[in-house]
Amino acid sequence: MKSFLLIAIITSFSLLTLAENRFPKPDFTSGYQYPIHHYDVPLEGMWIYLDIFILVLLMSLVAWATVKRAVRWPIIVTSVFSVTYFGFFRHGCVCSIGSIQNIALALFDSSVVVSLPIILFFTLPILFTILFGRVFCSGVCPFGALQELVHLKNIRLSKALSVLLSIVPWIYLAFAVLFSITHSGFIICRYDPFIGIFRLGGEMPIIFLGLVLLVISMFVGRPFCRFVCPYGAILSIFSRVSLYKIEITKLGCINCELCHNACLVDAIEYPYINNVKENRMKGVYRILSYLILIPMLMVIGALIMRIGSDSFSRYNKTVRLYEVVSNKDIERPNNQTLEEDAFYGHGGTKEMLAQEVEFIKDQFKLYSTYLGAFLGGVFGLSLIGLSLKRTRKSYTINEANCVNCARCFSYCPQNKLEQDNEME
Amino acid sequence: MFLRNVGALIAGGSVLSVVGVLSSRLFAQQGDYFWQIDPNKCTQCGRCEKSCVLPISAVKCIHAVKVCGYCDYCGGYFRQNAKNLTTGAENLICPTGAIQRKFVEDPYFEYAINESLCNGCAKCVKGCTSFGNGSLYLQIKQDLCKNCNECEIARVCPSNAIKRVELKIPYVLKGGEE
Repeated sequence: MKSFLLIAIITSFSLLTLAENRFPKPDFTSGYQYPIHHYDVPLEGMWIYLDIFILVLLMSLVAWATVKRAVRWPIIVTSVFSVTYFGFFRHGCVCSIGSIQNIALALFDSSVVVSLPIILFFTLPILFTILFGRVFCSGVCPFGALQELVHLKNIRLSKALSVLLSIVPWIYLAFAVLFSITHSGFIICRYDPFIGIFRLGGEMPIIFLGLVLLVISMFVGRPFCRFVCPYGAILSIFSRVSLYKIEITKLGCINCELCHNACLVDAIEYPYINNVKENRMKGVYRILSYLILIPMLMVIGALIMRIGSDSFSRYNKTVRLYEVVSNKDIERPNNQTLEEDAFYGHGGTKEMLAQEVEFIKDQFKLYSTYLGAFLGGVFGLSLIGLSLKRTRKSYTINEANCVNCARCFSYCPQNKLEQDNEME
Repeated sequence: MFLRNVGALIAGGSVLSVVGVLSSRLFAQQGDYFWQIDPNKCTQCGRCEKSCVLPISAVKCIHAVKVCGYCDYCGGYFRQNAKNLTTGAENLICPTGAIQRKFVEDPYFEYAINESLCNGCAKCVKGCTSFGNGSLYLQIKQDLCKNCNECEIARVCPSNAIKRVELKIPYVLKGGEE
């Protein structure tokens, strides 16, 4: 019986191979040898580890320059190097901003393995931020560095506008995570505005977007970092608790306002004396209203995102294919798209696809709800942040916004004094 | 100050634990890091040529010589309505002249791909698959590929033929080549 089976298997296999090869294998009589093809292996290995070494080196340099020495020239050197190496030479892949999506995907889908370089690109800047503030943003990130280098003259945006726009990174982050964990695509990589400039090629709209952002960043300090970058948003949480903080001067502030005017990213807050005395009951009510406001905004956000989840799911390729397949009879009876050809060609059926799409849509619904609640929370917290008034005796750095660009140091007259003393 | 240290501790701890979880998975199993085309799923739509982020696509045609029939009238070499079977450009399928043929012995011809000319348009692959043994197929050349975090041609591929593969087997080869 066993041998019978074996024969059956062998014959079926030979039939298969016969069916595959329409033309028989030639029998050469002239002693012809088959040419041997060499397949080139990926070159990545070495470069990736060099990247990580350079990343750590540059971040250490910036940390030394800003936290210890208070000088700016290393930032310029780092920026130029980072734009040439990470940007134009390595073409910016993989970057820390994009790695958010890989990490999010791996956290939600346990079958996904993230490579060591991506893990390190995601965590090393965060660890450095916990230690020294946003040294990565300063000039190590090629995007930040590029905007830093092209800046000419600062036009300060109004506080209301900049606060409103700084919600955008969180929305971008929420959608990037949503599309990543539903296996729909990496939108941070897809709509990366500077990659076209670094690669000197790519899709026209994206390059145009990059050029527009570059022109804006000549006059507005780091528009991408402040109003788009989701990784900057993550780092701004960690920089609040950083251990070794950047100080404008070690000699004490004389409230001259020069540093505030020099700062591009509105990270230096002016002194403020709170004269309004609030009575106890009023304060308690205020805090209670905050406690109600945040959950309310979270519920509203969750509801809005849940309602929208159906339209978000259309970003997914499979969902789009399903729409085309199920609308086929009505819209275009003869004209098949390449996607449909491939789908029917591989024996796909509408029912299987419907099942798959239902699963994807359920996922979208669930995660959209969570992320909506998250966005509502972010919105509520930033509103509360606006309404809080703290007394500040002198100009202080807002660590969440500060990108360690080191511009303020040279503007501070106290630092000049210190330098003169050192000279003598 | 105390609050700040506690905050830093919590933040650092959470980040490190995430790293721990992810890297433990890294050592437990082999990850798939390199983009590659599955030739059995490929429908030769021609998007690989146009959608790759490189100026000339990293996708190239590969020839599985042990599957090839070495025919004179090759479906991947000549156009379907070629007037005569000569090497005149008007008769050939390849728009860049990347397929070169050499006489071996009567009636066999050897076909070879000049990869520096190939742009991955898949015209020859379509010809060979529909009239031939299917020995021509597309692969992503790993020395050219930028290994983008999101592969642009994987995104537009109509049959989801482009998936991540392991470092150990960076090519998905067709029969007789393993």
